[in-house]
Amino acid sequence: MRTTKQQGLSVAFSVLVGTGIAAGIQQATEMFIPIGQSPALSKTATVIGTIESVDAAKRTIVVKSDGGSATATIADKTRIFLDRSRRKEPNRYGAFEDLEEGARVEVLYESRTRAASGPAEWVKVEVPP
Amino acid sequence: MKVPVLGAGGVLAIMLLLACPPEEPPEPPDIVKRGETLFFEETFDGNGRTCGTCHPRENNFTLDSAFIATLPNDDPLFVAETNPDLAENFENPRLMRQLGLILENLDGFSDLANVFVMRGIPHTLALKTSVASGAGPRTGWSGDGAPGDGSLRSFATGAVIQHFTKTTNRVAGVDFRLPTDEELDALEAFQLSLGRQEDLALPIALEGDAAARGQEIFLDRTLGKCSLCHFNAGANGDPAVFGPQAGNLSFDTGVEVLPDQPADLTGELVPPDDGFGRPGNGQFNTPPLVEAADTPPFFHNNAVATIEGAVAFYNGDAFNNSPAGQVLAGATGGGINLDATQVEAVASFLRVLNALENIRQSIELLEASGKARPSERVVSQVSHEIEDAIRVLAERALHLDAVALLREARASVERKPPQSRKAIELLREARSLLAEGIEG
Repeated sequence: MRTTKQQGLSVAFSVLVGTGIAAGIQQATEMFIPIGQSPALSKTATVIGTIESVDAAKRTIVVKSDGGSATATIADKTRIFLDRSRRKEPNRYGAFEDLEEGARVEVLYESRTRAASGPAEWVKVEVPP
Repeated sequence: MKVPVLGAGGVLAIMLLLACPPEEPPEPPDIVKRGETLFFEETFDGNGRTCGTCHPRENNFTLDSAFIATLPNDDPLFVAETNPDLAENFENPRLMRQLGLILENLDGFSDLANVFVMRGIPHTLALKTSVASGAGPRTGWSGDGAPGDGSLRSFATGAVIQHFTKTTNRVAGVDFRLPTDEELDALEAFQLSLGRQEDLALPIALEGDAAARGQEIFLDRTLGKCSLCHFNAGANGDPAVFGPQAGNLSFDTGVEVLPDQPADLTGELVPPDDGFGRPGNGQFNTPPLVEAADTPPFFHNNAVATIEGAVAFYNGDAFNNSPAGQVLAGATGGGINLDATQVEAVASFLRVLNALENIRQSIELLEASGKARPSERVVSQVSHEIEDAIRVLAERALHLDAVALLREARASVERKPPQSRKAIELLREARSLLAEGIEG
């Protein structure tokens, strides 16, 4: 009887917990961190390189880095940050149009792995001095 | 002029004193020591604040309006009042001073005047027990203060950007410098070293009637239901219900819809706080309760001033109609509906748990000094801990016999030279009046 009650509780609460979003996916201060300095991400999980090509129709970019070329999809929820730190100016939010060939970028895929392709969680675009 | 004459015993005592100068307790690991120095001294080339500005050791690593009122006007906490570049859209000085609320731009920095939340400062005690969850690390009130991987280690970077900046431009290398990897490691190690390193194992054999009844209610899944989400009065979900890897959980408990919240009553602009995410899911992380009684006010928005009020919150419509309250009611056959006496009993239980933790920390600090005299810092910290224990008990006239012993213990510690052994004896004696069978 006790086990049944316990199971009932577990099922009910699993619904509640199931509504939770994985922790750590929204951090507004990320915008102010220059390319290559995101803690625990830049050294392990992001791709840093230059934009090789842009496909506006498919809303994708190809980024060439030391690890080769990788495609990233710019989804509606992908955040684009303009890294103006080398100008010593405040960083700003950007748009797909700011992703131009030749631009230096850092991409974090939603999967948070370097070996990925697919939707990007955020893209930082360097604004040169 | 009468010159005191020392007997042989007096001379011996002085010789012993001279032979046994104050010493620091055994050094903690280097990385923890380094993190402590950074936490309290490093400004990261910013506006003068350190981590310790909002997490002062002498106030349980948190802020409340009473403590804020003791600070001088040039304290870096008040940079929004003293630095013209931070006068607008950085803090709300009235809400800070009156209610201990800090401004956070958790939903972005595009509209500083209107898009922000006002939050209380969670203490940093027992983080080793409260951050991990099956869904990743849960830091702060809603888990969205940390950039990078969202970890406690990365949280410091977010804090520097949000709170340490010289201007609201927040340009790295101009308005602040970002912590290095080595500094992040050290800051994390220091924070994880603070307070309890493991959860309690309830029930414990409490001596007081009210606290003992409060513990029963707390643990009763049909009455208080508290331990479902505060297992062992900590910050984690009951593993038998939420699974062994659940760890810390995040819930929408309806605090945001409480009527007549103190911040709202001021007439200041206080935008709704939608919790984790953008748009938010209304959820906030579960805080540990062992350290609650001496770290008011309560909830993410400092909406409730007393531990009794915080317990009573779960009786109200705000909680029982909330997503978390509705699931709880469905799973357990009803909402939470404690009578006033039961609220007092649960709060008494939490007060006694808090006092026991104050005593544990005090003994640990004094024993770490070994046979050496404790340093001034240790004396100060122990004195604060004992004072907290006295206050949380005396405010509700709980265990006044133990309170008397705690006062003696505090006096022993503050004596010159400190009488550590005597203090430890008194602390243990006081503890035995609160609960049976606790060693150490």
